[in-house]
Amino acid sequence: MNKTLYISIMLVSVVLGMMVAFQFRTTGRVDSGVPIDRVQLLTTELKQIEKEYNTLLMEASDLESKLAQAEKGRPEASQAVQKELQKVRQIAGMTKLEGPGVEVTLAPIKKDDLQAGENLFTVRDEDLLRVVNELRAAGAEALSINGERIISTTEIRLAGTFIDVNLTRISPPYSVLAIGAPDQLESALLIKGGLVDTMRDWGVAVTVTKKESLTVPAYNHRINIEYAKPLKEEK
Amino acid sequence: MWAGILLALVGLTLGVIIGLNVPMVLPQVYAQYLGLGVLAALDSVFGGIRAALENHYDNRIFVTGFFSNILLAAGLAYIGTKLGVPLSTAAVVAFGVRLFQNLAIIRRHLLKK
Repeated sequence: MNKTLYISIMLVSVVLGMMVAFQFRTTGRVDSGVPIDRVQLLTTELKQIEKEYNTLLMEASDLESKLAQAEKGRPEASQAVQKELQKVRQIAGMTKLEGPGVEVTLAPIKKDDLQAGENLFTVRDEDLLRVVNELRAAGAEALSINGERIISTTEIRLAGTFIDVNLTRISPPYSVLAIGAPDQLESALLIKGGLVDTMRDWGVAVTVTKKESLTVPAYNHRINIEYAKPLKEEK
Repeated sequence: MWAGILLALVGLTLGVIIGLNVPMVLPQVYAQYLGLGVLAALDSVFGGIRAALENHYDNRIFVTGFFSNILLAAGLAYIGTKLGVPLSTAAVVAFGVRLFQNLAIIRRHLLKK
């Protein structure tokens, strides 16, 4: 009886002493006055932030891979855009073009008798317009008159005694350059009873020369688009 | 009687020495549970002393009470933190009140002798 009592007292006291010592050490170790609640709060905060950090890391790697992919695709995309831009510039007439075609020169026939009146035998704006129209109808891809490129906003009209093209005064002899299928362009002009015949009747010296290669200059004025706004295309 | 007190003192010092020399360190998070355990243990010890002074000391009740109190106090505090209810406060108050009561009774018994 006594023996078990002593053993139990011994056991209890050893356990108590150990616990006290443990507790003393644990609280004594961190006596910086940080309360346990604060520690828990900070721990949970730390855990949350770590979680956030991990998700952000994942997001960052994801975005980086996307960026790398985009980076990989960029040269191709920019090439495509460049190509498209080039095409559009060609169509718009912003680039010098070169190719086979015809050269049409129009000049007033020099008449000895000036009494007939000078105006009767000059090349009029309408003649040029007709030539341009005819060439376009025959499939000309690029046109120019005396170095002035014909684009979508180009006008050909009489201004006083001169003809304005692209608001630039040009003077005879007029030389119209057209890139396209040379035979087709030529035949469109030289067709019997066609434009050239008519103009010759009117007293305009017209020559049509097929060329293996001719260069049409670029449009060299500014284009201001002030009022027209593009509409979003409906899909 | 005196042998018991001597044994208790020897055990206590032994326990303290062991506790101070064990290289293991308890994490800070569990410190409050251990503290509650210590409180419960002290309560049991004083209860045992009081019972011994009142001459109805039962060894089995003392030993089982000692350990079950420790475990209950620590476990209650743990459950409390998990549930978000500060049950450790309740344990501290209950054990503290009983500790002081037991101490007062022990003092009276000692003074009566």
